Amino acid sequence: MDWDLLPLPENAPPPGSCVRIERPEPGLAVVVLDPPHRKIAVFDAPLLRDLEAAVSELEADRELRGVVLTGREPLSFAAGADVEAIARLDDPGVVRSIVGQVHALFRRIEDLEARTVAAVGGPVPGGAYEISLCCDLIVAADDPTTRIGLPEVKLGIVPGWGGSHRLPERIGVPAALNAILNGSLVPARVALRRGMVDRLTYPERLVEIASDLAMGREKRRRRPRGWKKWAVDKDPLALKLIASQARKQVLAKTHGHYPAPLAAVELVTRAPFASRAEAAEREAEAVAELATGKVCKSLVFLFFASEAAKKLGRLPDGERPRAHRNAAVVGAGVMGGGIASLLALKGMDTRLFDLSQDALDRSLWHHRADVEKQRRRRRLQRHEANAAIDRLTTSTETNGLKHRDFVLEAVAERMDVKKQVFATLAEKVPADCLLATNTSSLSVTEMSEAVPNPARFVGMHFFNPPKKMPLVEVVRGAHTSDETVAETAALALRLGKTPVVVADVAGFLVNRILGPYLDEAVCLFVDGADPARLDRAMLDFGMPMGPLRLLDEVGLDIAEHVSRTLFEAYGVRMTPCPAIPELMGPERLGVKTGRGFYRYPSAKGRKRPKPELMGDLARFQRGDAARGLSDEELVLRMVLVMVAEAARCLEEGVVETPELLDLATVFGTGFAPFRGGLLHYADDLGVDRVVRELERLSRAPDVARRPGGPERFAPPEWLRRKAEAGARIFDRP
Amino acid sequence: MLRYAAQPDHPRLVLAAGVRTPFAKAGGRFAREDVAHLGSVVVRELLARTEVDPGSFDEVVAGCVGQPFDQANPGRVLALRAGIPEEVPARTVARNCASGFEAVTSAAANVLMGLGDRYLCVGVEVMSSYPLVFGRRATDWFARLNRAKTPLAKLAALAGFRPSMLAPRVALMEGLTDPVSGLIMGRTAELIAREWGVTREESDRFSLESHRRAQAARDGGRFDLETMPVLPLGARKQDHSLRHDDGIRDGQTLEALAKLPPYFEKPDGIVTVGSSSQITDGAVALILTTDRGAAEMGLEPLAAIRGWAWAGLDPARMGLGPVHATAEVLRATGLAMSDFDLIEINEAFAAQVLACQRAYASERYAREKLGLDHAVGELDLERTNVNGGAVALGHPVGATGARLLLTLAHELRLRDRELGLATLCIGGGQGGAVVLERL
Repeated sequence: MDWDLLPLPENAPPPGSCVRIERPEPGLAVVVLDPPHRKIAVFDAPLLRDLEAAVSELEADRELRGVVLTGREPLSFAAGADVEAIARLDDPGVVRSIVGQVHALFRRIEDLEARTVAAVGGPVPGGAYEISLCCDLIVAADDPTTRIGLPEVKLGIVPGWGGSHRLPERIGVPAALNAILNGSLVPARVALRRGMVDRLTYPERLVEIASDLAMGREKRRRRPRGWKKWAVDKDPLALKLIASQARKQVLAKTHGHYPAPLAAVELVTRAPFASRAEAAEREAEAVAELATGKVCKSLVFLFFASEAAKKLGRLPDGERPRAHRNAAVVGAGVMGGGIASLLALKGMDTRLFDLSQDALDRSLWHHRADVEKQRRRRRLQRHEANAAIDRLTTSTETNGLKHRDFVLEAVAERMDVKKQVFATLAEKVPADCLLATNTSSLSVTEMSEAVPNPARFVGMHFFNPPKKMPLVEVVRGAHTSDETVAETAALALRLGKTPVVVADVAGFLVNRILGPYLDEAVCLFVDGADPARLDRAMLDFGMPMGPLRLLDEVGLDIAEHVSRTLFEAYGVRMTPCPAIPELMGPERLGVKTGRGFYRYPSAKGRKRPKPELMGDLARFQRGDAARGLSDEELVLRMVLVMVAEAARCLEEGVVETPELLDLATVFGTGFAPFRGGLLHYADDLGVDRVVRELERLSRAPDVARRPGGPERFAPPEWLRRKAEAGARIFDRP
Repeated sequence: MLRYAAQPDHPRLVLAAGVRTPFAKAGGRFAREDVAHLGSVVVRELLARTEVDPGSFDEVVAGCVGQPFDQANPGRVLALRAGIPEEVPARTVARNCASGFEAVTSAAANVLMGLGDRYLCVGVEVMSSYPLVFGRRATDWFARLNRAKTPLAKLAALAGFRPSMLAPRVALMEGLTDPVSGLIMGRTAELIAREWGVTREESDRFSLESHRRAQAARDGGRFDLETMPVLPLGARKQDHSLRHDDGIRDGQTLEALAKLPPYFEKPDGIVTVGSSSQITDGAVALILTTDRGAAEMGLEPLAAIRGWAWAGLDPARMGLGPVHATAEVLRATGLAMSDFDLIEINEAFAAQVLACQRAYASERYAREKLGLDHAVGELDLERTNVNGGAVALGHPVGATGARLLLTLAHELRLRDRELGLATLCIGGGQGGAVVLERL
């Protein structure tokens, strides 16, 4: 076979060095995936090439009775397909033929006369699990690092190396469909319970046990599915029902923006009635189409961008910064309480301070409720839940700081208050304690001047709700040291967040871009656009929620405060639309008071009814200039103000690269992931078209009339230059 | 005899710091708590307030009577859950109602032996979590069922079940019953009340005063010096932290107390639920070290330990334990009752304290039982339990001893007085006494 279609990695080793066959006893072959050019084995061209040679050798061996397929270490099997290489392919024909070749190779493994046993451990994602599915039995190392599954859907493709027909055969259609659509990797014990593997053992004895199974010293067969196989998997009616239900659920979740889950539903539900060759053919077809499509490219881009962000948590010399043992948080509001709870959950002894005992009690209650919920869902065992609860303590007095490694402030957004807090804290903490502020609008540099060692001071901007939102902006003040930035990023990673380093400018990156977007939505609303249509249009565009609904979620008072800060910092182009202060009242601040643009009925029983638009909104509309605008025009206006502001951010170096900016927009604002981020969208539109549209909009009569309107839409120099050069923002699609 | 008095050439033992949870009536605010959690909460707070490095302790010693069956060696469990590093050993001690004392005195004895000099002492009790247990007959039946192998044998074993087996044994009640004399604690109080002529009215009056003093101390913020707010496990969303001991009854009257029926011996007994200590949950943490150790930890000690004593007596008259222990500690230290500026005596029962008062003053009792030629001394109620006692605050058995020391140490500082005595009676017929001295 010819593996040259797949791009070779730069440091590809000579043939024969990636796969080793050991012969510990007569009749047994232990096939070890051990490519010298990779830290973790990846099914790239050299490995597939050597694997094929190994399979040929096994096929020729008449004495062979058992085969064990394993990794170089019990807890290091393989990381699946070479995603980077696949993402670089643009020709569906090439993808189809590569997938076809892998299918042929895997089929030869499946057809080996000898009993084959896959001995796996550590992460076993995608292709790594698919090759295991070709073996007669799968043994997994019982270890916390072992995680098994088919996550392809998360990258916009489907399991293409036999996973979407071998997994349903092994565990049944419903379970397989669930696992593939979910795309999550499950722990060893769950995998055993679901029948995804046949046996668990200690990592130390993995190969020994696998050898016993392969040589028949231990008798074990796959657990038969029994009557369910006939009642469900082989019943065309049941399959049809499952398929239509699954399709409905997928569409409700993806609004039709993601083709991969739908393709997965097709493949899995049709697998039981397809021959092996047909199923493989269909898989190859689907992968070819998906892998070369826009959505897959976007998702793969985001995957690599977030992987790259993980490298941030290293010191300049490549070492890992020290791990924080404990932490303190000042301010027990929604943010402070949530962050403290997260810190405690992630293993740090955390002390939370507030002047109000009630606020502390609420935070502690929420923390315990969250931990308890995780325990009920079996994500935590009883003793782990106890420990997580124990780790959060509270106090109305700032004490217990002498041995703290990390202190974060989340008090009211006022510079004098924050400076006061830090001046007090700095006296009590050790000299090497990391000091962070969760401010969203104030200058980190100015704040850092309140402490004796501003090099250890950093902005750490979480988003609301802090436990759920995946982004943390690491704000580098003028005095912040590189070590401090690395340490903060490492901490964010430990908390399960993706860090993006940004400069200390008003609104930092995400709020600076989001501010004009939300304001533009309000302007359009005031100019007569139907509020329901505004939100609908952005939902259809792929935002997780419409702008007016998002304003309610943020809180109208907070939004007003942020827009004022942005106006003060950036001048006329950020002129806030006066509708928010008009609309706002003490009882009308958004979700928290039950009313904003929408009315939020209080929960009846367990389920909260859907919010509805308020009836009096027409009262705040001042014209009809925007009433006749099409959905496309509305979307264009709201998104292009973001693009313009993003370009200004890059111009000013607020964030280092367009890649990071896109990552931040997706993780921080929920910007449609299938579009790959804000600037990817601009690229798809064409930079010159973006510039032309911005120019047109800046001259539109209703925009020109508004203070700051033309300035807001004025195309930034950075974009103009790109357009004139006919360049794209990103080199490759 | 088991007694110790500070010597000039011994290290000077001090209580360097302490804090406690409010005491909550059993089955109430701390009903969903457990020993390890409540203990760890109070330890964490003490560590935070004192800023002491948790790894600097030599050992953790916890006093606890009702040790939970699912937390063997609760001292170790609570230490680890409080974030004390795993290298620091921990043990649990028990001497019934004096377990909190025992934690301190056994740690002190270790220091005197040269076995470390920084001890974290805890007294903790969650009486709410005392279990109901199957009786012997039910246990045997389960064992038979378990042993039966064949279906027929299983059926036969199953048939041996009787509904009466389900009647549980109440750990709380049986734990409060002395297995040697067969008397529940309340009846030992009735016995000595009778023997020493304590009346119902005296007993009720004493109880009323305990509540009045405790209420005044709480309202005056006195207890805020020693307590921390606790949001108990199982708190609902709208619940607030517990800030104060919740057994104190505001507006308690003599009339109300007089209406209560005798609880332990009907119809003529004098001990009621209103004149008994309350069944309560709570935890106390103290740092025991030497004056030098305290200085190294950067702590200003609350008080020094001048001496202590343990004494034994008739289990049926365990309530007189303080008299015996006090006699011993006076003998060891060479002090007299009149030297004490303040006294904390545990109010197991109002009648029991009053009986003690008489026994303290009795020359005959001193001669016959204590081998003295003079009465032990006068228990001046004006200087005794100035902030109320267990009748109002409650008596979480494992924690009480430590609470007496903490309260006494603070009171000596507040009033700027020299010497104080903390003493309590112990189920099973013992008494314990500790003399504290203002530094």
